[in-house]
Amino acid sequence: MAEPPTIPPETVVAPSPAPDDVLRVEHIAKRFGPVTALRDVSLHLKKGEVLGLLGDNGAGKSTLIKILSGFQRQDSGVMFLHGQPYAPKSVDDARAKGIDTVYQDLALIDELSVYHNLFLRRERVHRPLPFLANREMKLQARRALDEIGINIPRIDVAVARLSGGQRQAIAVARTVNGDADIILLDEPLAAMGAKEGSMILDLVARLKEEGRVSIIMILHNYVHVLQACDRVSMIQEGVIALDKPTAETSVEELTDIVVNEYRRAREAAHSEEAAVAE
Amino acid sequence: MTHATGAGAGSAGAGSGGSSSPSPPASVEGRPPEGEPPAKTPPAQPPRRGSPSAAAVWRERILGLREGSIIVVTLVVAIYFAANTSSFATSANFKTLLPYFAPFAILGAGEVFVMILGEIDLSIGGTYLLAPYLFYKIATAGLPLVPSVLLALLACMAVGLINGFFVAVVGISSFVTTLGMLFALEGLTLIISHGQPVATPGAQVHATTHNVTHVVNGVHVQLPETVNHISTFAKVFGGGVYSELIWALVLVIVLQTVLTFTRWGLYTVAVGSNKLGAAEAGVRVRLVTVRNFILCATTGGLVGVLEAVRSGTVQPDTAGANEILFYGIAAAVIGGTLLAGGSGTVVGALIGALFLGILHDGLTLQGVNANYLLFYLGLAIIVAMTVNVYVQRARRGAGSG
Repeated sequence: MAEPPTIPPETVVAPSPAPDDVLRVEHIAKRFGPVTALRDVSLHLKKGEVLGLLGDNGAGKSTLIKILSGFQRQDSGVMFLHGQPYAPKSVDDARAKGIDTVYQDLALIDELSVYHNLFLRRERVHRPLPFLANREMKLQARRALDEIGINIPRIDVAVARLSGGQRQAIAVARTVNGDADIILLDEPLAAMGAKEGSMILDLVARLKEEGRVSIIMILHNYVHVLQACDRVSMIQEGVIALDKPTAETSVEELTDIVVNEYRRAREAAHSEEAAVAE
Repeated sequence: MTHATGAGAGSAGAGSGGSSSPSPPASVEGRPPEGEPPAKTPPAQPPRRGSPSAAAVWRERILGLREGSIIVVTLVVAIYFAANTSSFATSANFKTLLPYFAPFAILGAGEVFVMILGEIDLSIGGTYLLAPYLFYKIATAGLPLVPSVLLALLACMAVGLINGFFVAVVGISSFVTTLGMLFALEGLTLIISHGQPVATPGAQVHATTHNVTHVVNGVHVQLPETVNHISTFAKVFGGGVYSELIWALVLVIVLQTVLTFTRWGLYTVAVGSNKLGAAEAGVRVRLVTVRNFILCATTGGLVGVLEAVRSGTVQPDTAGANEILFYGIAAAVIGGTLLAGGSGTVVGALIGALFLGILHDGLTLQGVNANYLLFYLGLAIIVAMTVNVYVQRARRGAGSG
């Protein structure tokens, strides 16, 4: 078997940790059977920072997000949350520690109402009775949505009836509502029109302004990254290939990195063909 | 002497049922609070237009319910039989109908919880058959009646736990798992019963003779009358005329409340609607699944005990068990619960059971040949479900606007 094309070692970046990091990830690796999703990933996130996570399809972005959120466990490497070792046992555990995720597939329940989705796993009940406090949840949901400027006309309809942008906004609002201080957004602008996408970017901008939460956001569009993020990390083939403040980089530089990756991959494919021909 | 006794028994029998109202049983319906569109107050319009728009509001309100269409279909069927069969809308017939549809309602209620998950439980036929035998074995071993019933139901819960384990943890499809469990439990029942029916413990009928004073043409006459008694236990667990109806209504109310107003129900819908999403949100999918399988298997056992006490015998009748199993599932499906999961109501299962009961009862009263009965029943189910699908489609179209 031919080895996959590897990145030259000098381009592997280990971001320098700072004392005000809320989250630090060191040398994370994860394999799924024969597939290596993450080889050696190190990251850090400052308080109130919005970090853009870039990378080609299959580079390992979503795997990293799933490890951070407690949905999967890494094979090796360590994580630190507020300077303490962080090894979430489950999604609930990660959430209890303040890390919450908006997944690519949104994890919204189509058949449930907007406010039930907002409160999923954090339902208010009429203690000591086990009955759902629907009125209270509706009021709080309305207030939370107003606070972060999401306009949903009716919150007692099933989320299946909402548009993609509204669904995404609700998924984001759910994490913010849940007292998370680190929010992971997995492709929040996927399959979204310009108007709806800007609604989400405005939401992120408002959260950044507030400065309460730190955000890691997977994005594909470099313009969005430069617009919305403080810093950008790029994963290639399971390692971090670039880590820079957005002010110090440009669409051109980010594009170059990806173009280079394609060039290397093509050369590797050609040399393999040549080897087979010989 | 013999003549007098016979007449007395007859009058006692008629007297006990006089209190029930002769209204068609289709009026037994509940309304869940969700899915109800807000009533639109018609804007200032000429009064002539007022009444059709009010009708439209009502139509929308009924169709807004998940069970709306089946309520309409059931009412239509009930009205049809009431108009065409003189003996349909009578209290005596009402009492015939009760033990027929109540078991399906209970089974359907349990099945709804599993079907909302997108699963199915065929093993309720097995627990239906096994539980009364376990009850018999435990009670004849010397335990009091009620603890014996509870132990038998505990065994059914264990069956549900095993079902849930294979579905949620091992990952076998629920159809296959519970089909295997159905056969296994029916076989187990045949083994422990040696295929022989037995008398249900606590369901014996005691006849006593009383002297009752009658006034005939101003003359006081004392005549002996035979009155049949069953124990309080039997009255509660299926023997009483309204026992099964009360069990069904109470369970439907409790389970609909659980489904609509508690986390249990919310997570059931969440898992059935989006299993991965629910897991990512932190819902314990396995726990929710196992819990609902336990509930469903237990309803099968409960109905088995109720029916055994009502009939006075415990029968190792596997064909009967399979039939009642499918009626239970049919009640849930007819009541608007989707086999694909994510949506369904317990009240719907009650109405579905009522629909089955009225159809069966009405066709019987009309003198339909027993051989045709099942045929008509099958066609009626397909027609009713077709209507259901179109009404739901219309509702969805109207709702999204």
